[in-house]
Amino acid sequence: MEKFRNGNWWREKWEITWKNTLVTTAILAGVTAVAGLYHMLSEGSVNIVMFYTVALIFIPRFTRGYVPGIVAAMVSVGCVNYLFTYPYFCWDFSMKGYPVTFFCMLVIAVAVSAVTSYTKQQSGILASQEKKLMEAEKERMRANLLRAVSHDLRTPLTGIIGASSSYLENEAFLSEDKKRDMVRHIGEDANWLLNMVENLLTVTRIRDDSASVNKSLEPVEEVMAEAVRRFKKRIPEAKVKVSLPDEFIMVPMDAMLIEQVLINLMENAFYHAHSEREMELYAGTEGSSAVFCVKDYGTGIEPDRLKTIFDGEASTGSGEADSYRGMGIGLSICKTIITAHGGTIEARNHGGGAEIRFTLPGE
Amino acid sequence: MQTKATVLIIEDEENIADFIATSLKAQEYKAVSTRLGKEGLALAASLCPDLILLDLGLPDLDGMEVIRKVREWSGMPIIVLSARNQEKEKVEALDLGADDYITKPVGSPELMARIRTALRHGAASGQTKAENVFITGGLQLDFGKRAVRVNGEEVHLTQVEYKIVAFLAANAGRVVTYDAIISHVWGPYMDDNNRILRVNMANIRRKLEQNPAEPRYIHTEIGVGYRMAEEE
Repeated sequence: MEKFRNGNWWREKWEITWKNTLVTTAILAGVTAVAGLYHMLSEGSVNIVMFYTVALIFIPRFTRGYVPGIVAAMVSVGCVNYLFTYPYFCWDFSMKGYPVTFFCMLVIAVAVSAVTSYTKQQSGILASQEKKLMEAEKERMRANLLRAVSHDLRTPLTGIIGASSSYLENEAFLSEDKKRDMVRHIGEDANWLLNMVENLLTVTRIRDDSASVNKSLEPVEEVMAEAVRRFKKRIPEAKVKVSLPDEFIMVPMDAMLIEQVLINLMENAFYHAHSEREMELYAGTEGSSAVFCVKDYGTGIEPDRLKTIFDGEASTGSGEADSYRGMGIGLSICKTIITAHGGTIEARNHGGGAEIRFTLPGE
Repeated sequence: MQTKATVLIIEDEENIADFIATSLKAQEYKAVSTRLGKEGLALAASLCPDLILLDLGLPDLDGMEVIRKVREWSGMPIIVLSARNQEKEKVEALDLGADDYITKPVGSPELMARIRTALRHGAASGQTKAENVFITGGLQLDFGKRAVRVNGEEVHLTQVEYKIVAFLAANAGRVVTYDAIISHVWGPYMDDNNRILRVNMANIRRKLEQNPAEPRYIHTEIGVGYRMAEEE
């Protein structure tokens, strides 16, 4: 393994490729042309050496390995000697200081080659580190979600297990009313669990890289109506004023997921807003996108939470009266779903309450 | 209530089969249950139940296979009960000939309502329908005159719209898939683009429903099809 990597390293540093050859030749030819022009206009070979030095700095920048730089250094020295020093068009190795020029140019070429290949390597490492970091972040979010979910699942389960076992153990001592009460609580907890699980199931419909969902063209009005129906089935006392778009709109989406988003948003408004008036659900178009909006007339959202409300961080519950369980997850699932559709979601306060709107791109 | 109908429950989760059997017995049905698909097929042949409640995830056979086998020789109502909530499966089961599809979990009132509907359709399929009028809530459909009324007022529907509504009404209480509606209304050679059906449905709702945002007559089964409210 190690040996193979060494071989690889060796090849990378010393390989001769078409690209390297072409780039090197092109730059050298360019510099020679410029130097020739300069030489015709003004005498003096000192500056011509400078031209070639510049070329030596640039060549490793656009090539890989040490070969182009070293070859270029030799060619440069040769050119300066043959073309631009007296006697012109003939070799003269007896010139004073010649070995110094040659040596300096060689050193420049090797040094610059080393520096650039090091930089390239470093930026490669940086990019892969960044990728790793992003993956770690994703992993962290997933772990957070799992932790929050397990906690939220355990609460109603405790209720169910407790109530049912206590019913079985104490059946003889319980009044009929009390028994009914316990069974009713079991039912409520189970329904809440179901809601939670359905939310989680929707997430599994989003393919792993969170980039895509199965979309089909669906009429906005049908999805809205269905979401409202299911929401009211779960919370019969909730009041929603629904305004369908005037025109008939069809948008590509996974209808089950968007339904879930609408239900979560309405539920959020119902439990958190403490609204006096009924909440509103409406939709329309904006350019080629469809826009959905859930608006309530309650207490609004604390300004410092507006930005992070979709991040799935459970509200810290610092003295908050409403610690309705699990809502943070509901909203972060909304964000996941909308992002996977290529849409955007945002929350804002409109003065008399909160408003959450999201867009879905059209065809 | 007529003579006790027999319901065959094919479900491998004992708890669920138990709760269904208990609710059925409380409603004076006769319930027989089995955990295996093969045994279910044998029971279906020997008992000739009035209805089959079928779970799709069985240990020995795929539920779809059970529907296919039963449909080879009988039109008895089949209600699919499944924990898989994928539209594709719903459509597949319905297209294979299942009468209804219920996603678990389900409360017993809803389950009983669906069973009553399926039994009624099973009984009605033998004879020609006696009454020529379909009524649910304020919606009234006269198949003979091809007339539709909402709260007593006549509503004008186009030819295609009427065909859709009449087809749904004839199958009231059941989910009718998009493909089934399209091939009934436009013929089998229509392409599977169901946009035209969706547009027609939007127009129908604007004509029939007081509030299309909360439809009372024609319900949507997202990704699967439409369901007309049960006749009263």
